[in-house]
Amino acid sequence: MKSKKQKRQGDFQKVQLKVGKKKPKADNATNVNFKSKAIHLPEQLKHADSGPTTNRQLDIKDLLSKLHHVNSNIKQGALVGLRELLSGQPTLIELHASAVLSEVAALFTDKDGSVRAAAVRLLRFIAQCIPPERVAPFFPLLSAHLTCAMTHISEAIQEDALRVLDVLLEHYPGLLSQRHTVLLTNFLELISQKRKSGTGQDKAGKGAFSLTISTNRKVTAQQWRLTVLLRLGSFLQAVVEERPLEEGVISRIGLGMWAGEKGSVTPVDVSWEEHAFGKGKIQVFENSGAVPSPHSAYRLRPDSKAGGGMNKELCSAETVQGFAGTLVPLLLEIWVEAAGGDSVQTDSDHLLSAEAMALMFQILTILQLLRRLTPQRDQQDILDAWFRNSYLTDFKHHFMKNFPYGLREVARHKKKADGKRIRQQVAAGTVAGTNVEPLALNVTLCQVMVTLSLRGQDHIEAEDADWLGPIRVFIRETLSNGGKLSLKHLAALLEVVWRMIVTQRSRVVTDDLLQAVFVQYQQRNLAVSVRTLLLRFFSRLYIQEQQNHPHIARSRILACWLASLPVQLVQLGSRNPQLSAQLLETIHPAAARGNKDLLQSLQKNACSIYDPQEGCVVVLPAESQKRLVQILHFLPAFPAELLACLSQVCNTGRVSASLATMLIRSVHLRSPLSGCSSSLQDVPVKDVDYLSFFFTTLTGFSSEMLRALQDTDEDGLLPSSTLSPLSVFATTLEQFLHHWDIVEEVCHCLNTLGSRAQCFDVIQNAINKNLCGLVVVPDCVCAAILRCVPRLLDVNFLPSDTLLHFLSDCCLSMLNLLLQLEQSARKRDAVWEACFAALSTVPRLLRLVLQSFHVFDLCEEELPVLAQILSLLLQHTQLRNHMMANASLLQHIIQDLTHFYGGETREQWLTDLLYCYSVTLSGHRTNMGMRDIY
Amino acid sequence: MSAPVEVVLSADSAGQLFNCAVFDPHSGSEFLSYRGGNTSSRSLTVLNGEYILGAQLGKNFINVWEIQRKDQLQQKIVCPGIVTCLSASPDGLYVLAGIAEAIYLWEMSTGNLLAILSRHYQDVSCIRFTDDSSHFVSGGKDNLALIWNLSSVVQLDSSRTPEPRHILSRHSLPITDIHCGLMGPQARVATASLDQTVKVWEISSGEMLLSVLFDVGIMSVTLDPCEYFLFCGGSDGNIFQVSLCSTSLSRDKTFQTDSDGNQVFKGHRNLVTCLSVSMDGTLLLSGSNDETVRMWDVQSKQCIWSINHKGPVTNAAIIPAPANMFLADSHPAVPLPRFSRHLNPSEQGDTTGSGGVCLRLGANTQVPEGTYLEKADELYSLMCAVTDKVSGEVHHCCQDSIITVSRILARLSRRRSFV
Repeated sequence: MKSKKQKRQGDFQKVQLKVGKKKPKADNATNVNFKSKAIHLPEQLKHADSGPTTNRQLDIKDLLSKLHHVNSNIKQGALVGLRELLSGQPTLIELHASAVLSEVAALFTDKDGSVRAAAVRLLRFIAQCIPPERVAPFFPLLSAHLTCAMTHISEAIQEDALRVLDVLLEHYPGLLSQRHTVLLTNFLELISQKRKSGTGQDKAGKGAFSLTISTNRKVTAQQWRLTVLLRLGSFLQAVVEERPLEEGVISRIGLGMWAGEKGSVTPVDVSWEEHAFGKGKIQVFENSGAVPSPHSAYRLRPDSKAGGGMNKELCSAETVQGFAGTLVPLLLEIWVEAAGGDSVQTDSDHLLSAEAMALMFQILTILQLLRRLTPQRDQQDILDAWFRNSYLTDFKHHFMKNFPYGLREVARHKKKADGKRIRQQVAAGTVAGTNVEPLALNVTLCQVMVTLSLRGQDHIEAEDADWLGPIRVFIRETLSNGGKLSLKHLAALLEVVWRMIVTQRSRVVTDDLLQAVFVQYQQRNLAVSVRTLLLRFFSRLYIQEQQNHPHIARSRILACWLASLPVQLVQLGSRNPQLSAQLLETIHPAAARGNKDLLQSLQKNACSIYDPQEGCVVVLPAESQKRLVQILHFLPAFPAELLACLSQVCNTGRVSASLATMLIRSVHLRSPLSGCSSSLQDVPVKDVDYLSFFFTTLTGFSSEMLRALQDTDEDGLLPSSTLSPLSVFATTLEQFLHHWDIVEEVCHCLNTLGSRAQCFDVIQNAINKNLCGLVVVPDCVCAAILRCVPRLLDVNFLPSDTLLHFLSDCCLSMLNLLLQLEQSARKRDAVWEACFAALSTVPRLLRLVLQSFHVFDLCEEELPVLAQILSLLLQHTQLRNHMMANASLLQHIIQDLTHFYGGETREQWLTDLLYCYSVTLSGHRTNMGMRDIY
Repeated sequence: MSAPVEVVLSADSAGQLFNCAVFDPHSGSEFLSYRGGNTSSRSLTVLNGEYILGAQLGKNFINVWEIQRKDQLQQKIVCPGIVTCLSASPDGLYVLAGIAEAIYLWEMSTGNLLAILSRHYQDVSCIRFTDDSSHFVSGGKDNLALIWNLSSVVQLDSSRTPEPRHILSRHSLPITDIHCGLMGPQARVATASLDQTVKVWEISSGEMLLSVLFDVGIMSVTLDPCEYFLFCGGSDGNIFQVSLCSTSLSRDKTFQTDSDGNQVFKGHRNLVTCLSVSMDGTLLLSGSNDETVRMWDVQSKQCIWSINHKGPVTNAAIIPAPANMFLADSHPAVPLPRFSRHLNPSEQGDTTGSGGVCLRLGANTQVPEGTYLEKADELYSLMCAVTDKVSGEVHHCCQDSIITVSRILARLSRRRSFV
């Protein structure tokens, strides 16, 4: 205890400070006499944090956490920072998509406008980077926030919500359209409020909603409604477009209306060559025909709901009716207000301000879209009928009231409105989409109204006449006033025309409307797309509807249009192959149906279409060429000059050999000589023309060309000599082979004619008359003659001497040519085949050839050639018997040859020849010997 | 010698020796021939196993023979125009004729002209019924083939024009031949065309299943009963065999290319105008413009026999032998009525009262006359006639034909269930 006390005293000993003495240092005094230096580790600092940062050194976690800050400036800064960071490092978006999206979405309802604007900007940026399928998991969240914003009590937030909607519509229309149940009511609530059941006002009974007017907005009620309706329109558009396409339903609206339709079974397509060589195994029934296709019309009952999951979608008529029942009264109210408000400003009813016009245009667009929400045809009909029953009187009253006036004054209105519109646009600069042409409005109005007209019944037609009349007048005047219409408007107008023609079933109406369309069609300098659209309209009208509607079939305008097609084809030439193909697509079926107007016109223009120099058949691509050749089959008559053209087309090489054979075949089939056409009264191809066509095609050169050839001395010319009595004009390999294929087909066709002897007689006369006197002959002509003669020659027919002499000349020249052809195996084969066939089928020809070998007339250099020819002939086994028949002649030649060749050394060619000769003879002798023994 | 199961019926356009003749499918020996006139292409048909109908070439009437009285032309049916093609329904109740662009439909029991279908734009080249007579397919020179439902054509009241069930419009040149497979409305149809293709379609949906492109125009087409093979007669005289389901499932075989030409029947020198396969799928009959009819073995692709005709062959078919054909003393159960030439018989004015009951479903346009008892009597006699005929046929049916048919049916059903 004591010691403790002492200790304590020791602790608290007082230090005596005295003047003059230095103050003793405290025990805990810091010793500061050291020096320090800073160590810089910049690398380490930078890499300490893993993620990339912004300029302000903030990483993504910081930024996200700052979004929850109270201060709106900091929030906005964080949003800007996020955008900067993500644009620098796009990979981050994928990593943090969920966090970023949920945080940004939460800011849609932020109190501060600038924060919301920044959030929208960020969302727009993110949407560009992430594809819809990756956003899909977060989309419920996004749309929940969107809904929250749209139904927010603050109007500024509501307005910004529409911007968000814009972004989502632009990038994720498919995802958004799945949320239509919530969103559609939100749209309604934006411009209206639910009518309380108790308040029985004057408009009661029109619908459950009534329009709201709020005074504290920056924009007028009309502008606000316009913005909302714009979004509603584009949202419905998204719903319509993004719906999983119902099979077998052709979209018949707008530009797609005249597009082709698709089948649901993919047919197997094979060509015979592939199949024959085992390349394509066909499994038809496994592939496409195993079960009857679902499009079979055999159904126990029509499916009421298409595809189980679809029943919540907006595709049945009932759901659409439910929605339309609330929306349409609202739209009508807006229409009335727009029209009424406008009529105060201007003195007459049909003149509208740009804003009102935009509003009306949106209303009509929405009405149109509502109708398109049902994909199935029968549902669409139900919906049409429902619209007609419920709203026809309203529509007629409101829409059509000023329509005819507006129509007449539209042009003037346009001019007047220009200045006004500019002023208004300045005033209402915030509202987008105010630029709506009056034409667009009117056309859309027509479209909406025309869908209400039902097809068929007579009493309804009379009923509808009062409002369809003005529409008809408007359409006729718009189309025929000579102005150029844009593609979109024209498509819409044509759709209206189509519907009216089909529903009204009157010839007067049809001709009236078609006349207007035809005026449009006849304009010069139309854009290609517009031209194609008009063309499709007419061709679909002709091909699809003509049979069901006699009033269309009898239309004068349609006939006139059809007759003009071949002329257009000629005029178009090679300038636009797509358009030509389009034309042919109509000409072909029309020709197949035997349309008189078309066929007459086709016949008139046939020579220019099938012109061998610049006719369509040579300048267009292969697919169109094929169609043209097929159309040939339906021509009523083939005059001589057309056949001359066709023959040249075959031979100029600008159509492929297979197409040329097709052409030859169709001429052959049309001739009565072929025995296919049974009718005897009309003869499309005269026999004389037929035979001269085939002969010209066989030779491949017209008489003028051959005559011109006699006088030229070109490089391709091989001079005539003793061994080659004709001077041969060597054609190019390509031309030769092309011609070779054609000759094959010609021979085949001639071969199937009834009387072979007569046919050969004609050919023989033709050869004698046209070819025998020639000095210069193209090699392909020689080959063709040599080929066709043995194929056409009848056993009992004796060819004339002139022909045989010409043939022997040809044969000799060809054999001579054969030895000079090293470069092309195919040509050599062809030439040899021709010579061989001729020599083996006509024994007298061989004798003539051998007789024409005059050894003593030959010069030194030609001897080896002769020997080679001889050994070639000797080597061939099939020719051996024929050679043997001429053994004495042969022996004579060989003797002369050995005598005449006085060289000391035996050359190789001579040895070869003698060897061949001895082999042939000995073989023959043994045969003879064998025969003697037996 | 027992009566054959199947016979070959062929005709040529010259008609020198006979109009049409019946041959033995195995030996090619001639059984019978029917004289008088000649028959145009695709217009020879057997009605109900009792009559042979053949349209006269280039004239506007149809020659009719009773099938057992070969020498005597029984009747000439005068038509409104030149008949381009003719077909009798397999159940023997209806006859279709293509006359220029229109198709005429007659009811055999009364001879009434039930409908004139003018949906083709050019001459009709070929008409074929499905095996259950529920549908028929018509092909024309306007590149179109139309599938019609017979009942919808017959039932419609006069205010509406009958519509084809499907329009097959994928050919680009005239259609030359049509073949209907088995299985009634679920059958497949093969169409041949000058555009060098043969296309196979489904009757029920009108969808195209297959298109085969050749290098010559195709003039005739047929399928074997099991639809394993498609036979196509080309305009160059070759017959091409397309295998529709590759049976070789082993993958080793895919590199073995089928050597060239083993799927072609070579022999004809001119266009092959008609093709037909026997009931068991082993024999192929072809007729050609080179004036021969040839029988081929499908397996080996060899020609078994050929018969020379005196003119281009217009019709050749293997048909099940009709019961009455070889019984000279038999006679048809139902006499052939007079064919009416106008659509509505009342307008024509000949109410001579053939006495037939007009049973038309759906339409109440015809007011029946006479008492109920009279009508019942008539009905009864009609039914008796039908049952007589049926029992006669049953007696005649050979044992082995039943076996063949049942085998084919079994194969068919196995294949359908397999695929």
